Order: sequence, then C-alpha cells, then structure tokens
Amino acid sequence: MNDRIVFEDVSKFYGEILGVNRVNLSIPPGVTSLVGPNGSGKTTLMNLMTGLVRPSRGRIEVLGYPTSDPEHLFRIVGYSTQFDAFPKGLSGFQFIYSYLRLAGNDRAAAEQMAWGAIERVNLADAAHRNIAGYSKGMRQRIRLAQALAHDPKVMVLDEPLNGLDPLARSEMIALFRAAADRGCYVMISSHILHEVDVISDQVVLLSNGYVVAEGQIHDVRSEIQEHPTQILVRCTRPRELAAKILEREQAMEVSIHKDERGLLLKTRDADRFYLTLNQLALDGIEIESVAPADDDVLSVYEYLIGNEEVVR
Amino acid sequence: MKPLWWEQVKAVARLEIKKTFFARRGVWIYLVALAPVLLFGAGAAIHAHQRSRNAGIARQNERRLSYQDLLAVKTGMTKEEIVSALGQPPIDQHWTEMQPDRPVSHEHLQYSDGQNQLYINLNDGKVESVDVQSEFNASESTVVYASIFQFFFLRLAVFFGCLGIFMNLFRGEVLDRSLHFYFLSPIRREVLMAGKFMAGLLATCTIFVTSEVLQIIAFLAQFPPNARDVYLYQHHGLEHAAIYLGVTILGCIGYGAFFLVAGMFFRNPILPAAGILIWEGLNPFLPAVLKQISVIYYLKSLCPVDIPAAPGTSPFFALLIWNADPISAPVAIIGLLMVSVFALYISSIQVRRMEINYTSD
Repeated sequence: MNDRIVFEDVSKFYGEILGVNRVNLSIPPGVTSLVGPNGSGKTTLMNLMTGLVRPSRGRIEVLGYPTSDPEHLFRIVGYSTQFDAFPKGLSGFQFIYSYLRLAGNDRAAAEQMAWGAIERVNLADAAHRNIAGYSKGMRQRIRLAQALAHDPKVMVLDEPLNGLDPLARSEMIALFRAAADRGCYVMISSHILHEVDVISDQVVLLSNGYVVAEGQIHDVRSEIQEHPTQILVRCTRPRELAAKILEREQAMEVSIHKDERGLLLKTRDADRFYLTLNQLALDGIEIESVAPADDDVLSVYEYLIGNEEVVR
Repeated sequence: MKPLWWEQVKAVARLEIKKTFFARRGVWIYLVALAPVLLFGAGAAIHAHQRSRNAGIARQNERRLSYQDLLAVKTGMTKEEIVSALGQPPIDQHWTEMQPDRPVSHEHLQYSDGQNQLYINLNDGKVESVDVQSEFNASESTVVYASIFQFFFLRLAVFFGCLGIFMNLFRGEVLDRSLHFYFLSPIRREVLMAGKFMAGLLATCTIFVTSEVLQIIAFLAQFPPNARDVYLYQHHGLEHAAIYLGVTILGCIGYGAFFLVAGMFFRNPILPAAGILIWEGLNPFLPAVLKQISVIYYLKSLCPVDIPAAPGTSPFFALLIWNADPISAPVAIIGLLMVSVFALYISSIQVRRMEINYTSD
C-alpha cells in the first residue's frame, strides 16, 4: 500500500534486549500518537521507520518507500528526534540551511525554506545565534523546524512538546493538526495523555515492546470488554433517573454526580443502555446530554497498560 | 546541470571542513605537521650561522684561499710551511702542556675559503692532524631529508594526522550525538561517506602539503646559494620536491581510506592505530600478497632517495630501512589507489549498515 506507513511483523532486538516485537501496523494519514511508558518501544518504532535502526525481522515501508532508501525516503519524511545534540558551531539558521543544501536545494531555495521553517516555530529573532546558547525550549523548536523545513508528507516527532512553554505547545499542536488536516501523516510520541487526546486521530498503545492496541480511541475503547463502559448523563432529576435505570437492570453501578446535575454509571452493554435511556426520555425525564466518560486515551491507557509513568 | 550526488558531496564537505580544520581536539595534528618544519628551520639557521662565521674567517685571510689550498695541508708540515702556503691563520690558539720530562707546545689553526673550514692541530711545531669540513654536503643532506620524510613525516606525522582526522569523521559525530542529522537527510550513505572522505582529504592535504612545502623551503635554505641552484636544477632537486609532495598526497589518500574504515569499526582509536602501525612496520617481513595490503609498501617505492643502512646495522633493521623489493612508480600509484578504493568500498558497505544507537556507543 503506497498511502500507508506499514510495519509488517517487525521485531527489533538490541542484542538480548527487546526493542519491539512482532509489530504489525498500517498507519493512515492524520495524527497518530504512540503512547506508552518509558522503554515501551516508542522511540525504537520511530527509529525503525526512519532507518536509524534496522529491524531484526520484518518489513517497513513508508508510503511505498523502504527505509533503506534514504535518498527518496527523506524527501517525504521529517524526523525530530529526542537527541538533544547538534553539529558544533552552527547558528539556528545555518543548521537548517546546511541540511537543506545537503538535500540538493539551491542557495535561494534553501534560504527561503529555512526562514519559513524558523518563522513557523517563532525563532526568527534567535536564528543567527549559535545553537549552543539556546534554551531547552529553543533547541526543541529548532529541531522541529529542521524536521519540518522541507514540508514533509510524513512527520515523525519524538516527544515534540517536551520543554515547550504552554503557548508554544498550543502553537505546535495547531501546527500538527493543520498538517494532518492537509493529509499529512503526523506521528507523535508522548507521555502527556491529555495532549495526545486533543490532537490524535488514532493511537498506538505500546507496552514492553508490544503493540497493545491501535486505532481510533473510540474503537479501541469499545474493544476493551473486561472494563464496563462509563457514561456521564447530564439531567435535572438524577436521583429519579438513577432509580429507573437500576430498576431496569441496565447498569452495574450508578453514582450521582458531585454537582447533583447528573449521573455517572457503568454498563457492560452500552448500546442497550442508550435505547433504555431514549425510552426514559420519552417518559418525561429531561436529559441534557449523554457522553462516554472513559472514551479517552487516559482511560484506555489505564485499562490496557496500567498507571505507569504517564502525565495527565 | 551538475549531478545531485556531486552537489551533495560538496555540501557534506562544506559542513565538515570547518569541523575538521578548527576542531580543538585536532590541534596536535598541526603541531605534528609543524615539527619537521621547525627541525629544518633550525638546521637552516645553524647553517646560516656557520656560513657567516666561515665568511668572517675567510675575510681575515691574508689572501684569497681555494678549497684546493685547504686540501694542500698535510700531517708533518711545519707551521712555517703552512703560513707560507696559506698566509697567517685567522684563528691561532696555542697552549703549553707540562709533561713530566719537558713542556709540549700545542697549536690550533683555522682557515676558511668562505664555505669550507680547515682545522689544523700542531704538536711541537709540526702538524699532527688536519680536518677539512665542508659547510654543506648536498648528498648527505638529501639522505637526512629522505630519512626524516620517510621515518618521521610519512610514517608518523601523516599517519597519526590521518588517524586524528579520518577516524573522527564518523566516530566524532557518534560521540557528539549528531550523526543522525546526516542519516535523516535525503542522501545516500555512500555519498555521505564520499563527502566526508573528501573533507578529510582536503584538510589533511592542506595541512601536510603545506608542511611539506615549508620543509622543502627550510631545507633549501640550508644550501649555499650556488649549491642550491645546482641541487635544484642539476641534481633533480625540483623533481624530488615534486615527488615528495605527491607522496604526501598519496599518503593522505591511503592512510585516510584506512582510518575511515577503522573509524567505523572501532570506538577506541588506539586499537586500530596500533594495529595499522604494526602492520605497516612489519610490511618488509610479510609475504608478497599481504605486503600489497598496505600503504607504506607503495609509498616507499615512490620515495626518490634511497636511505642506505649505516655500516654495522643488523640485517633486521637493515630490512626495515632498505626497500628490498621496489616497484615501479606507475604500479605503486595504481596499487595504492586500488588499495584505497578497496578500503572505501568496505566503508561504503559498513556505512549502509550503521545504526544510530548512541547509548550503546
């Protein structure tokens, strides 16, 4: 498939140590988040798809290009790694410009692209300063600028929001979303689940080198059978509604919301519950809203992986 | 329109040049390259001083002397005979030694024709010993130059300079954790390797060819002006200088290719350095096939002056000095280039296999 990022039975071992094992993925356009605790294999997966490491087994293709073909691969891929190191003695502008020249761009084009990228990450004022004097946040931004300077179709971003202040984070998130909306493939690894939740079209959950789940959050959640679905119902008469729900044996557990304006309940059969709720609404109970309460990355992550090293 | 790979080679070289020339960890390379220049510079200064001293002595002669006049003095002659032949000596030192039976008078005379010096020792008024020293011996000097070139400049300075520069082309960036930027660019790894090799070659050639040029200038400064022209234009001096420069460039190519490979396989430069140094040193003792996988084997045959082993040198050391099986210049040049291309071919295979795993590096 030439319109997907494909991992086919991919394993990577560092000697005796497992990096990732038997990964099968087919990643469509949009923002895909790799989520997992430290050592779960997020960076390994990114390094594999950019050819920085070679798989011990399996096959990887990025929009039809093998990772052993950097000449073509990196015309469409930009990778912002977690390595916080730069070639010595270069200013921010020289850094981006030099690697654009390396790609074969002529002087004028490289200069124009470099400035475009620098402006996108709001670093124009510091562009002529040596990178060695940059703050952590500035280094993160110049790395992102370098990865995005050639306007890649596939953006691979390892913890791209690390070290950024809240304003820069929201700017970057908007940048990634805009790219995804243009049909780009944006792969992000992150610990910060509420941000992942905001920007992701799909997630890949990793644990100990294995892909635990993948797909859209809602689909992943609905496949987790052992955890009952949590639903938040906003209504004016929560106690009356709770009684009727329990009477019909449609929920395993019901609790009144703290603000007394809703119910939080758990059910194993969400579809049947929604039908019952419709019936109750017809019977005169005013329902303001119904929404899944654990249909997010954090809940899915906790159900599947546990509560390891994540930031909410 | 120039091909993309060539533009990329140039772009890599541009990025590398600054790092290669101005790396703080490379300062010692400049010092090693400068050492023989200082040596020949000091030699030139000593010779200049000697020349001016000889000229000063010659000016004090009663009459103009030739080299033949100096050679005319023999043992057994009296001082009077010497004075009548050469005139009053510009330098005349005498002293008396008190022997148990009688005092013995000693006299030391010096003459010069401006270039050569005559030392005469008289004992009781008769010449006991005569020594004519030439200020400059061109053939001896060229052998000294050849020895320093082969045994210091080529085998140590160029060798270790190439080690310092070429081994760090990849290894240095692994240590700095910045190699991945290259690997994430749309450039074939072989092209990247070629660009880095070119940058290393440019740096080493600039440093060592400059050093060699300065050495030649300092070496020629030792010569008296008329002897310099004779050496340059009649005794192949210019040709030798050109060959030394060519051998230096070939040395940079050969050792550069060897150390580029070594830098990809070894984290610690001491191991390959010691290995290659021993291999190069053992070259005269290796079987013919293995001899050819070496740099010094080819360079030795290209050097323009043979270094004679001193009398009494053991056969083992004589073999180290003497080029027992010289090969023709075209064969040596082609052979060295082929060995270098082979080393670069191995590098190109290895660079394609390289992974970024800084933590384990």
